Amino acid sequence: MTTPILETQALTMRFGGLVAVNNFSMQMGDTDLVGVIGPNGAGKTTIFNMITGIYEPTEGDVRLSGKSLVGEQVALITQKGIARTFQNIRLFKDLTVLDNIRLAGHSRMKYGLIANILRTKKFHEEESRLKEEAIKLLKIFKLENKMDHLAKNLPYGEQRKLEIARALATKPKVLLLDEPAAGMNPNETADLTKLIKWVRDEFQIAILLIEHDMRLVMEVCERIYVVDHGELIAHGNPSEIQNNPKVIEAYLGAQSEEGEQ
Amino acid sequence: MDYLAHLTLNTGIFIILAVSLNLINGICGQFSLGHAGFWAVGAYTGAAYGVFLAPEALPDFINLFISCGIGFVVAALSGLLIGVPCLRLRGDYLAIATLGFGEIIRILIMNMDVVGGPRGFTNIPNWSNLFWVYFWVVITIVFCANLLRGTHGRAIISIREDEIAADSMGIYTFKYKTLAFVIGAGFAGLAGSLFAHAQQFLHPNGFTFMWSVIILLMIILGGLGSITGAIVGAVILTILPEMLRFMGETVSQWRMVIYSILLICLMLWRPSGIFGKHEFNILKFFKKDEEATS
Ligand SMILES: Nc1ncnc2c1ncn2[C@@H]1O[C@H](COP(=O)(O)OP(=O)(O)OP(=O)(O)O)[C@@H](O)[C@H]1O
Ligand SMILES: [Mg+2]
Repeated sequence: MTTPILETQALTMRFGGLVAVNNFSMQMGDTDLVGVIGPNGAGKTTIFNMITGIYEPTEGDVRLSGKSLVGEQVALITQKGIARTFQNIRLFKDLTVLDNIRLAGHSRMKYGLIANILRTKKFHEEESRLKEEAIKLLKIFKLENKMDHLAKNLPYGEQRKLEIARALATKPKVLLLDEPAAGMNPNETADLTKLIKWVRDEFQIAILLIEHDMRLVMEVCERIYVVDHGELIAHGNPSEIQNNPKVIEAYLGAQSEEGEQ
Repeated sequence: MDYLAHLTLNTGIFIILAVSLNLINGICGQFSLGHAGFWAVGAYTGAAYGVFLAPEALPDFINLFISCGIGFVVAALSGLLIGVPCLRLRGDYLAIATLGFGEIIRILIMNMDVVGGPRGFTNIPNWSNLFWVYFWVVITIVFCANLLRGTHGRAIISIREDEIAADSMGIYTFKYKTLAFVIGAGFAGLAGSLFAHAQQFLHPNGFTFMWSVIILLMIILGGLGSITGAIVGAVILTILPEMLRFMGETVSQWRMVIYSILLICLMLWRPSGIFGKHEFNILKFFKKDEEATS
């Protein structure tokens, strides 16, 4: 078997006495579209935070193409090819849509501080290349006519889209989406469903998706990992998951708090 | 030097101080309270060069240039020294550490006999003049404005906007925080050197914590994050006390009270400062123009 693009081995995260994630192992191939589901507080976001280096796992390993990422800086992990969006959108609110995208290209810019200050030829070349790339991406997401708007002034659905676009602008191999449909209306969610599949096909990347909207998850994901109270309780394709008694129990047990979306 | 020229020169020095502090506090979003410390470092090292080392054969403006360079580099290095341990910590720690730094510098100078200690540093050569001060004012402004229009400047801004998001975009936030801090400290040092060679006399008590606060007030007044705002804030808060002085002794004594009232009014009517985060329109106009052609 070829090495998985992303793999976690027995990831565990403890916050003091609380075990937020316990012994979580998963694998995904180059262009897999995989879901992570579970009730509120199950530990899903914590898994993302460990993969991206925001938290250092208490135990276990994260591997990108077989190479361990544990202990690396967040920025370096991104540069190596893992990009993410956040559950509570974290755009650069007071910057323009264009600048949000440009920032994702920062680590690929090849001019130095002096060239920046003196605005040399190289500076102009690199900047116009960056801008072109950014506009190309914004066109894909139909945001190019809002290029000069401040991110905070976009409607909610477009902010979510911009965050995905910004993550893609880092040129990732693996894209982590943390509840991209949260707060979207059914129309927007339907668009998003198509968009996620399309992004995978177009960019040929692996996507790991946390989502509470079951319709979306069941429709786009090829495989699903289910976590509850930090434990992996099930793993399989959508129909297996839907009929798994453990999953049904975890969700029914949590149903009263969570409600249907 | 007559009164008006002197005031204009001081205004220029405070513009450099405000624009450089704005890079740290306004643009990068770090809370530094030690700008007077870097100013003092630059002033004393620049002056020491003038008094002890400067070859008299060199023309004054070259000596001033070297002195400014020394002031910049030494202040920048002290910025690096204090920034590296503190910038890893969250906001409040940096404020406390930089505040402490400013006071430590003042007390160190107070106890250094070579530079006059509590008697003050005298006989500093008179090399500064309006031309060279405003030359450096322009350099400082152009430096910052250009920085912000490139990827390094954008990285610095992204830290203010959302540090975790910036990290997640592959930006080494610590590196860029340090960069902003060191450059800001450097320009404060440069302002110090210009100041020393204009005053010809330095006293450690001329660099108290109060001055760090006043420079901070300048950029808050103008609008944190706006270069134009920092310039306007510096002009207002250098000229205002002089105007108050003309209104008589009592009004002048109430200077700080008047500042406070001014600040409260500002908070009520324009909470993000005169310019907010925006720049004067002409600058924006140029920027648009250039981007269209590039
Ligand atoms: N930094 C932290 N310090 C302490 N506890 C934390 C921290 N981060 C997460 N937790 C705890 O870990 C558990 C898992 O949280 P996590 O955010 O991963 O859940 P989640 O599955 O993403 O939930 P949701 O669906 O609500 O987003 C929760 O009990 C949470 O309170
Ligand atoms: Mg979560």
